[in-house]
Amino acid sequence: MATVFNPKERKGDKELGALYSDKLRVRKRREWRGIKDTAYDYSRWLYLWSIMVRVSMSKGFVKGLFRYRWMSNYLFVPHMLDKFTIGLRDEPLRITHTAMDFVVYDVAESIKNCMRGDRRIGNDVKFSENCVLCDENAMTAFMMGFPTVKATLREVPTMFSANLLNQYSTTHYLDVAQQFGLPGDVCPMPEAEVGISIDDDFPVLGKCAVQVNTTCDGSLLGNGVIAKRLEREYGIPTFQLVAPMRHKEEDVQKYAAEDIKSAIAFIEKQMGVKWDWDAYFECAKRVNQTTRDRLQWLEINSTNYPQFVGAVFSLYNDTNYMGNCGRSADFPPINEKLNKLIMRGYEKKTMMAKEYRHRCIVWGVQPQYCIDMLYWMIQCWGVVPLTDMLSMVIDREIAETDTPENREQAYYDMAWLNENMIMRNRTHGGYKVLVDELWEFCEKMNADMVMMWEHMSCKALCGMHGQFEEQARERGIKLVWVSHDLCDPRVYTRNAIRGQFSAFMRTVMREEPLDPSIEVLPDDDNAL
Amino acid sequence: MRDLKHLLYFENLLQTSNNELIRQAQSEGKICVAYVCENTPEPLMDIGNAFAIRLSAPNTGSMDIATYYMTNLLCETSRALLERAIEGGFNFADCIVAPDGCTMINRCVENMELLKTMGAGKEQYFTQFMEIPLKDDDNGVELLKLQCKNHILDPLKERYGIDTSDAAIRKAVEEHNRVCRVIRAIGDFRREERPRITGYEFHVLTLATYLCPKYLIIDKLEETLEELKTREPDDKDYRARLMIVGSEIDDSGLIKLVEESGAYVCCDRFCFGSLPGRNPIELNDVEDALTQVCRHYVRSCQCPRMMNMEKVYGRKKYVSDLAKEYRADGIIYEQVKFCDPWAYERFSGSVMLRDDYGFPVLSVDRPYNISSSVGQMRTRVQAFVESIEIKKIQGGTK
Repeated sequence: MATVFNPKERKGDKELGALYSDKLRVRKRREWRGIKDTAYDYSRWLYLWSIMVRVSMSKGFVKGLFRYRWMSNYLFVPHMLDKFTIGLRDEPLRITHTAMDFVVYDVAESIKNCMRGDRRIGNDVKFSENCVLCDENAMTAFMMGFPTVKATLREVPTMFSANLLNQYSTTHYLDVAQQFGLPGDVCPMPEAEVGISIDDDFPVLGKCAVQVNTTCDGSLLGNGVIAKRLEREYGIPTFQLVAPMRHKEEDVQKYAAEDIKSAIAFIEKQMGVKWDWDAYFECAKRVNQTTRDRLQWLEINSTNYPQFVGAVFSLYNDTNYMGNCGRSADFPPINEKLNKLIMRGYEKKTMMAKEYRHRCIVWGVQPQYCIDMLYWMIQCWGVVPLTDMLSMVIDREIAETDTPENREQAYYDMAWLNENMIMRNRTHGGYKVLVDELWEFCEKMNADMVMMWEHMSCKALCGMHGQFEEQARERGIKLVWVSHDLCDPRVYTRNAIRGQFSAFMRTVMREEPLDPSIEVLPDDDNAL
Repeated sequence: MRDLKHLLYFENLLQTSNNELIRQAQSEGKICVAYVCENTPEPLMDIGNAFAIRLSAPNTGSMDIATYYMTNLLCETSRALLERAIEGGFNFADCIVAPDGCTMINRCVENMELLKTMGAGKEQYFTQFMEIPLKDDDNGVELLKLQCKNHILDPLKERYGIDTSDAAIRKAVEEHNRVCRVIRAIGDFRREERPRITGYEFHVLTLATYLCPKYLIIDKLEETLEELKTREPDDKDYRARLMIVGSEIDDSGLIKLVEESGAYVCCDRFCFGSLPGRNPIELNDVEDALTQVCRHYVRSCQCPRMMNMEKVYGRKKYVSDLAKEYRADGIIYEQVKFCDPWAYERFSGSVMLRDDYGFPVLSVDRPYNISSSVGQMRTRVQAFVESIEIKKIQGGTK
């Protein structure tokens, strides 16, 4: 592609390596972005602290800090945001903060609720009895018609987001699972969740639980271990909701829809509540709005001036589709704000670095402990991540008007949402959705490069390694493999991850970094 | 014990993927339906003029090319099969039916398809991927029925003109059951105090029923059953009676290795084994045969991917019941290296069988072809057998 140059000189820090220190765990100082952007950034930093303080003052938080080893990680949320906003100015800075403010708020609420209902901490029985524990890998569509019941995703604060903050947050749990005999070659995410369960480090709350098989064989199998403890030790009945593997096929949809009906019946029975169709269709409208907005953002990312990119794009979609799935009325206004910022940035041709040398699609599963890699790619190498696999989720709308036909269709829609959970809509369903559609996205978004995350325990991705390689070569697309181990930094360190990308850029692309000061960062042994 | 008359014959059949009986059946005009997962209802592929052959890759050595396509992190079974397919070893198949049972075997067959490794010169050749249930319930039975119709019966009928009527299914089940009954009857000898068949011999016979056209081996199997009725067992005590549970064992050398350490493999509960794989399918005349076959597969399925908790607990109880029935002193939980489903099942099963059911358990992973890791495995099995023996000597005290 032809390099796109930024006519505007970046205000404030030019060499971002100046922010890092070999001795400190956090940065030496905050990034200087010019008066206006620094003030904005600082105000958001204070806002994050206000969320943190509010959560810290909630019932059971301090007790939880002493009970759960994963809790203290949340003190480092502002540092995570600093990593996501590296080098950003103007609209992209505001987009990142707007989206992440809400993601942080959502996770903070989740922690607050977990502590409140936890039998060992807050022990608010009435609250706990109104909670359904939902698998973090579920599109929580089956909760769309239960507006009075709380869907609690306890794996999100304990495992998923904790690992974004502290790269070592899961290593203890991985060791626990392996000491019990689970091999080290399975995906570390469900393995860590199993370890948390064995270690009895999940908050214990909820009247019942719903698990799904969505992500992978490891996740499916790990659920059994977790459910055993839930059922036998804590008396929390657990329903296993199926999502067929070959989700693109017509002849599996009835099976999936019938199981959604069973899941709803299970929740109705356990919670003593009735499914509310009005609430469901309200949520359906929000899901559709989310889809329309996301497709528009992708349209803008297909131009020379992408605005909403990187891990935040993915995390926001993740929170919005899966954790929320139309259930919260708080999301549409955030989307509105994002829409305005994205359009304004596009119209003003705002860029995130001084030049864009390559347009890249990021495929595969990203490492939790090196989640800021995509921002580093922009600043260090001028490679813009247009989108990532996790953000290429659903693209059609569901029935949103309450009619007798649509009530039956709704079960199919919920099943379809569940089957098309973020990531698994690509990793399952055959090579067409994983391999063939990647090339279609490259063409549609005018990408000249693909970065393949090779999560070394992801069998679905690794199983197509040779096909990716050969087909990229046939199409003349530069494909760089970057190996990692999802949430175990002992296997691949952060610099080992970045090093693979840098080596490719130097040896294959014959390029030098835009900002050599950040090519190697002193954060390998640093938890944060 | 005196050698079984047909053992060498069966052993030789297992030495190559495209054995002489497959060639014979095809020369008789029969259609070879290849499959890769035990959750695929066998009688529906052994129907009419078709015969089912489970793909295996005996004597696997290097898997370099498959490793390039799928990395070294996928299970060795899937890589061994892909390697054999790339080498042209499965070109005999007239079609392949692959359930999305586990991700790795699914990717293996997808690579076979993309690389066009099979079907050369066969105009009617087809690859079918199918969904199989994840839970044991009526919804799952309905799904399996539809999938079998769409991905096995209809393509066989359309491409090869195979009779897939209810009568044809019933006839196929009858023939399937004949083989199952023989294998189960032979397997029952393993319960004896002094068994008249070794675990190794039994494994060879069982494996042959998956890798050869059944109608061409049934006479020899029945003859072997007769022979066993009068066979004199060895006058020796085994150091321990062991049950093996886990991933498929395509290499009988593993069973031999266990028995060389003085143990006796009295029971098998692994993919493509006899329990529950060779349980006959009982049909009634009231309901259509397809529904009944599918129900049998869903209900009896012991695959770790079955995720409802009744199945999760039930799998361990099933192992415990079998171990008691076959008087096993200990259980070996094994998995092919990098097999995710059995990695978790081995882990949870070995903990539950030890803690909840009180069996000594050895938990191991292994290569697809045991000859690449004989020493390590032998040491672990010997140590396990010894530990059981010591417990016996000490009268069961810890």
